[in-house]
Amino acid sequence: MQIFQLLLPLLFVCNLFAYPNYSDAIKVKKIYPMGERIYQKRCHTINVKQYKEYNTLLEAIQKGVCKELSPRYQEALALYLWDHKDQKLTRKHYPSLSVNHTQKCPVCGMFLYKYPRWVSMIEYKNGKKFYFDGLKDMFKYYFEHPQNIKGMFTRDYYTQETIAVRDAYLVLGSNVYGPMGNEFIAFSTQKSAQHFLFDHKAKKIVRLNDITKKMVYKLDE
Amino acid sequence: MNKINFYLLEYAYGYIVRHKNKNIFIVTVFTLLVALLCTLFFITTSVSFELQKRIANEPDIVVQNYQAGMPTASTNAMLDKLLEIDGISGGNLRVAGKYYFRKENTYFNLVGIDPFEELSNKFLQNIVDTTDINSSCMLVSKDVLSIMKKAYYSNYFNFVKADGTLVKVPIAGSFSTEDKHYLDKTILMPKELLRKIFAYKSNEGSDIALRIANKNELDFLTTKIRLLFPNAKVISKDDSVLLYKNLFNYDSGVFLALFTIALFTFFIIIYDKANGLSSEEKREIGILKAIGWRVEDVLHAKFYEAALIAFFSFIMGFILAYIFVFILKAPFLGNIFMHENLLNIATFSLNVHIEFSYVLLIFLLSVPLYIAATLIPSWRVATMDADEVMR
Repeated sequence: MQIFQLLLPLLFVCNLFAYPNYSDAIKVKKIYPMGERIYQKRCHTINVKQYKEYNTLLEAIQKGVCKELSPRYQEALALYLWDHKDQKLTRKHYPSLSVNHTQKCPVCGMFLYKYPRWVSMIEYKNGKKFYFDGLKDMFKYYFEHPQNIKGMFTRDYYTQETIAVRDAYLVLGSNVYGPMGNEFIAFSTQKSAQHFLFDHKAKKIVRLNDITKKMVYKLDE
Repeated sequence: MNKINFYLLEYAYGYIVRHKNKNIFIVTVFTLLVALLCTLFFITTSVSFELQKRIANEPDIVVQNYQAGMPTASTNAMLDKLLEIDGISGGNLRVAGKYYFRKENTYFNLVGIDPFEELSNKFLQNIVDTTDINSSCMLVSKDVLSIMKKAYYSNYFNFVKADGTLVKVPIAGSFSTEDKHYLDKTILMPKELLRKIFAYKSNEGSDIALRIANKNELDFLTTKIRLLFPNAKVISKDDSVLLYKNLFNYDSGVFLALFTIALFTFFIIIYDKANGLSSEEKREIGILKAIGWRVEDVLHAKFYEAALIAFFSFIMGFILAYIFVFILKAPFLGNIFMHENLLNIATFSLNVHIEFSYVLLIFLLSVPLYIAATLIPSWRVATMDADEVMR
């Protein structure tokens, strides 16, 4: 019992500065943007690399240049910096999916600029890029010319950020229609794909390897 | 026909000057009619254009908490719950409201700002980014500054809290709202300070503004939030667009009534004119024919006469409407848009924004009609024998 009485306050003290327990959504949507703004506006002198632990980083922020900030801001800054420490390693750079007013989809011939949310792209190794107004048309092209592909890209339905089709979770049979009717709806995480499946009465989630030519053409029926 | 015949043009001008009284009357009526119609269209297009710009500055979804059917404070917990929903890409708990300044009998719009959060209004965001206000100061718009100065507050202002105590806030600076009159009487101050004045707790705010990356999801997310918070009021951007659209449809109804009345008056004048020429005018055409003018020449001269009057009146009407709406800011007619709490014409700057399709409509409804109404009776007379006309 004596040991517990000693350990308990120790545990408490350790937990006080431990990495806080926020959900991913709150971190991405609320804390990181705020931390980024604080970092850019006030505290861009901090070098994250020199801190081995989250606690020491937070302590340094509390005692250093940003000590006049309120604790809420200090925490946001610390979380942002800590979680983006290895940013250059983890973050992937995808080409932008912007199209001009003359570009058309090579499969259906529709103008692409009218449906910017659905633009998808195949990049070949010889540098050629083809833009499509939806994943369905892109897969039709893909099954005709599957060789020498460098990458395939589309947008995450919820965040509208560019993602690689290779990593995407594609949802079939939902009540959301693209410019060409039934579509594959792409998501970067399985969780958001599942939420979408549930919300929009979709049928199933597939990955790139599961997709067959038959499956693509079945969407047109 | 290709070239303008300047002799005939001179004759037409002479004719107009000779019948001074009659033509001045026609020009006056014509000008006023075009001016009225142009005014109506100028106001509607300008106001709806500005509204569109305003709506573009609003957040995609606004969630306001209600209790017992009355607006009440929203909490940080609500925001966190909303941010967990996929599809919502960001949001913040806003602290904003009105403060009644009894001495000058006006309301100030108090907007809470957080230097590290994104505001949906780009204009205010720019002000916040460029000025550095610390935690206990406020920024006021120019008109607020002058109101405060009238009450001898030039460096600070005392806000009276609900419990009667005072909160003294120094004025850090002032900003101009430019042509954005809906931002008049705005005071910007840090959220923490504003919470103190409005007696909100530290985790409370007035409403929640949400951003959505994919606008296709707007409708769905609105219904989802309504289910999540059954007693909250959820206003999506689409809703506000629809609200303003309905408002405009109603106002356009009033305008349409005015428009038809004005057109009807014009047609009566046209009908009167087309119904026949005075004996004096008939005799003049008869004399012209007797001295050897062809029917073609008479019609040519009459065309010039009608065109001169119609174009002159149209341009005058257009200029009058332009001055009335965009320079004088539509003193009486603008009040058609007065709606309590919804639209106040005084908050609109009535910037120059003209849709030329409407101007073309007015042009086509007036100028060719008037020319036709002058030509047809003249043609009828000109085809008769000269002696028959003069007899």
